[in-house]
Amino acid sequence: MTYIRSFLNIVALPLILLFIWFLATLGEASFFVPTPQLLVETFINTWTADRFVGDVFPSLGRLIAGIALSILIGIVGGLLIGSFRWLRALLEPTLEFFRAIPPTVLIPVLMLLIGIGDEMKVSVIVLGAVWPILLNTIEGVRSMDEVLADTSRTYGMTKINSIRYLILPSAMPQIMAGIRQSLSIALILMVISEMFASTEGLGFAIVQFQRSFAIPEMWSGIVLLGLIGVVLSFIFQLAERWILGWYHGLREIEQSA
Amino acid sequence: MTSAHSQPTNPVISQSSVQDTPDGRIPVGRTMPDEQPMLSVRNLKKVYHTDGGDIEAVRNLTFDLPKGQLACLVGPSGSGKTTLLKCISGLMAPSAGEVTLHGQKVTGPPKSMAVVFQEYGRSLFPWLRVAENVELPLKNQGMEKSARKEAVEQALEAVGLAHVPKSYPWQLSGGMQQRVAIARAVAYQPEVLLMDEPFAAVDAQTRADLEDLVRGIWKKLGVSVLFVTHDIDESVYLGERVIILSSSPTIIQEDVLVDLPAERDQLETRSSQRFAELRHHVYEQIQLAKKGFRPEDAAAMR
Repeated sequence: MTYIRSFLNIVALPLILLFIWFLATLGEASFFVPTPQLLVETFINTWTADRFVGDVFPSLGRLIAGIALSILIGIVGGLLIGSFRWLRALLEPTLEFFRAIPPTVLIPVLMLLIGIGDEMKVSVIVLGAVWPILLNTIEGVRSMDEVLADTSRTYGMTKINSIRYLILPSAMPQIMAGIRQSLSIALILMVISEMFASTEGLGFAIVQFQRSFAIPEMWSGIVLLGLIGVVLSFIFQLAERWILGWYHGLREIEQSA
Repeated sequence: MTSAHSQPTNPVISQSSVQDTPDGRIPVGRTMPDEQPMLSVRNLKKVYHTDGGDIEAVRNLTFDLPKGQLACLVGPSGSGKTTLLKCISGLMAPSAGEVTLHGQKVTGPPKSMAVVFQEYGRSLFPWLRVAENVELPLKNQGMEKSARKEAVEQALEAVGLAHVPKSYPWQLSGGMQQRVAIARAVAYQPEVLLMDEPFAAVDAQTRADLEDLVRGIWKKLGVSVLFVTHDIDESVYLGERVIILSSSPTIIQEDVLVDLPAERDQLETRSSQRFAELRHHVYEQIQLAKKGFRPEDAAAMR
């Protein structure tokens, strides 16, 4: 019963929205808004295996590379900056400055500096997606429980073991919150980075459809982007449940107490 | 030599428990000039520097802990017990004086020392299971896997938790969590075990069980235990010796030997005549300390 119920909860709103859309496009079909039936048809015809190989997979590759690099740089940098007070004092004002620059305005500059290839696109993704992870990691390291830190010290934990068994897991709830934010930023930047001087990719394809007035195709690309976002968030939730199982259990007990 | 305050009310406790320092002002706890003590605290002083001025938490503490002794440190709340323990465990540097372990000055947490904190919920790693929590310090020391497994099993057995190695600490009751922390300390095989009000946050019945557990482990392992508490009954029941601290800035008010039989029992011991006398005496001293009586004043008046 509970499964059916939660399934209904998930699909109820999409079904209602689809129905409204269906009703709204029933009479006169606007050229710019396709009917649901047409969109489904177009989706199937447009996103063929060829398109996946040519546009979707390269995009996903850059997206995954960008996210992976952001996580790596964010966590390593955050651990370092969070651990050393002097480093924090030195870097924080500058980091605030760089964080304030929208990564999209860097695209033309990056194109001049490192060309229009994958490196540029991945760089754009990292420049935007690294911040939530970096800042959350710093905050997570700083908010370490004092008693836990003292316990580790009294048992003479080595630096490596401290990072592995104390600092990293203790900062993990905040790190995961940062990663969650970064995922959506990365997806946005993936699309935008492909709208400039590109020859392939999802962003490129959507802009291409738009310019050639292939409106249903354009919409189908947007739907695909949405679906990618949903899959990303689903994978993230699975990973989070696995990595932060202890945290959710602990929270549940604290709240019920 | 004992302060005039305790003499008339407590003729039973006539032994001199407070010695005077050479300058004749600050009383000190029992020291052992001849045999090498395990742990030795000399003229320990701790001043916190804050924006609102300096706060002198610990003024001057001197005492020794011999090998294999279970001593309780008891004092009114706010008497710098935790500060003292942090200095002894090397987590905090004293402002003056020193702590030595086997004659070696303590500058950081020593290898042969384990600490059990009051806040069990914050001293166990919530992301590690019970057995992993006990195992971690051993892993960190580079102990072999099979030896580790055995040590963890034995330690959990010793605290009566052999049945929950796979649970997370936060799934257990408070008393059980503190048992895990004790098991972790036991598996580490320290020579000195420091316990900072370990049972302050558990209920009274659990507390009695845990007290007997600590006595049992102490006897079995022959480890030196310094047990900090604010509970007077607990200090007398557990210790072979009770070191009474004054109110802050802390000095030693009195150092009392507990001459109760080695076999202690929650019912028998606590209802014995001698227990009542010792308890009475310690209680009286703590009340004096709360009122601001300071032994150095008494010494200066003589």
